[in-house]
Amino acid sequence: MSESNDKLIVTKIQDGTVIDRIPPGKALKILEILGIDSNYPYTVALAMRVASRKMKLKDVVKIRGRALTPQDTQKLSFIAPTATVNIIVDYKVQEKQNLKIPDHVEDFVDCINPNCVSNSHEPIVSSFDVVSKDPLILRCVYCDRLLEQKYLNREL
Amino acid sequence: MIQKHLFSTRTISKDFIEQIFSLASKIESNPELFSDKCKGKILATLFFEPSTRTRLSFESAMLRLGGQILGFTSAKESSAVKGESIADTLRMINYYSHIAVIRHYIEGVGEIAKNFASIPVISGGTGSQEHPTQALLDLYSIKKEFKEIDNLNIGVMGDLLYGRTIPSLLFALTKYNNINLHLIAPPALRLRKNVALRLKENGFRYNTEENLKDIITELDVLYMTRIQKERFPDPVDYERLKGVYQISTEDIKNAKDRFIILHPLPRVDEIDYAIDKTKHSRYFEQALNGVWIRMALILIYLGLD
Repeated sequence: MSESNDKLIVTKIQDGTVIDRIPPGKALKILEILGIDSNYPYTVALAMRVASRKMKLKDVVKIRGRALTPQDTQKLSFIAPTATVNIIVDYKVQEKQNLKIPDHVEDFVDCINPNCVSNSHEPIVSSFDVVSKDPLILRCVYCDRLLEQKYLNREL
Repeated sequence: MIQKHLFSTRTISKDFIEQIFSLASKIESNPELFSDKCKGKILATLFFEPSTRTRLSFESAMLRLGGQILGFTSAKESSAVKGESIADTLRMINYYSHIAVIRHYIEGVGEIAKNFASIPVISGGTGSQEHPTQALLDLYSIKKEFKEIDNLNIGVMGDLLYGRTIPSLLFALTKYNNINLHLIAPPALRLRKNVALRLKENGFRYNTEENLKDIITELDVLYMTRIQKERFPDPVDYERLKGVYQISTEDIKNAKDRFIILHPLPRVDEIDYAIDKTKHSRYFEQALNGVWIRMALILIYLGLD
């Protein structure tokens, strides 16, 4: 990765995922969510606070050899709703996805209520309806409690 | 069409509530007519938390209908102490009874029932989430007194944060017209945000108060509740708030002639014993109404109404 004349040049990856238009400063959090740490065996390029025509500033992450699961993209949508996910195959963008906060999420985060049945040993997964996208508020399908942005920022 | 289980008053219709009241009223006027309606049927009472009125009135209801009862009265008496899940408990109860009542400190049990119970399951109270049959008998008591629930001035006072009867009562009231509702609580014990949001989504308005004396002359009904000691995460908070509301005959001397006081019971010190003897107290009759409501519910959920 190099920067010349205000233009950022990042080497293309052969196969993997490019996450573009990440809100500035969130790239590290995204790697954390995707479970990518110092032990990851392939190339990872990370650019923070680079100039963007649409966003003024943005973060970009390029990850070789990693495809995102639907659950990964769901989590990303909550942290970086502006981001686009490009799936790269043989140096070319095979698919481009715009992230969208869903209306319902499952097995995504633990309910805030310690007495919620989803936090006890039952054969179920946590399940939430999204009641507000900005600010983000989730409502537990089981106990009806609200998970607000502050809690989600801490948990996600 | 009725739902298979009853865990919330939010998801049932006004028509269904009125159907329950109509049957409860018929039963109340002539219980003998219903004395063998449930012959050969078994009600399981699964009480993972203590109960006096709810369990006994459900059991009394089933026995008055000619049915039989089985169950346990605390988590210690069940395999929950061995770590058995609620889902597995409900799977078993499908084989042993025709209808069940469950009380649990865990919230969200209704969703487990939906997935794992093939017999009708009725909530006898879930944590501080809801207590739907209590709300039904509360409204039945109000309806018996005033004939209609619409247009009443109702005060709900005490622990609105942890009291499980509160969300059920308020969700049921949203189905009636022109209710002038006053919620009277110290700031630390006001409605949970999720309950307030549900009311807002229904367009249901209410007034928030801190003192009964400001509104006592307006009220038709005062629904008093106990500060829920067992649900406070920090005992220090309970010590600070206990006894915050105690009403005496002096506090209600300016109330309307037909003003009534309800309480889901048990009470601790929030209603002075002297009020029991006044024309305004209805909490003991209210507890009896629980039997008629629960008889009606058993019949309806068993399809025997």
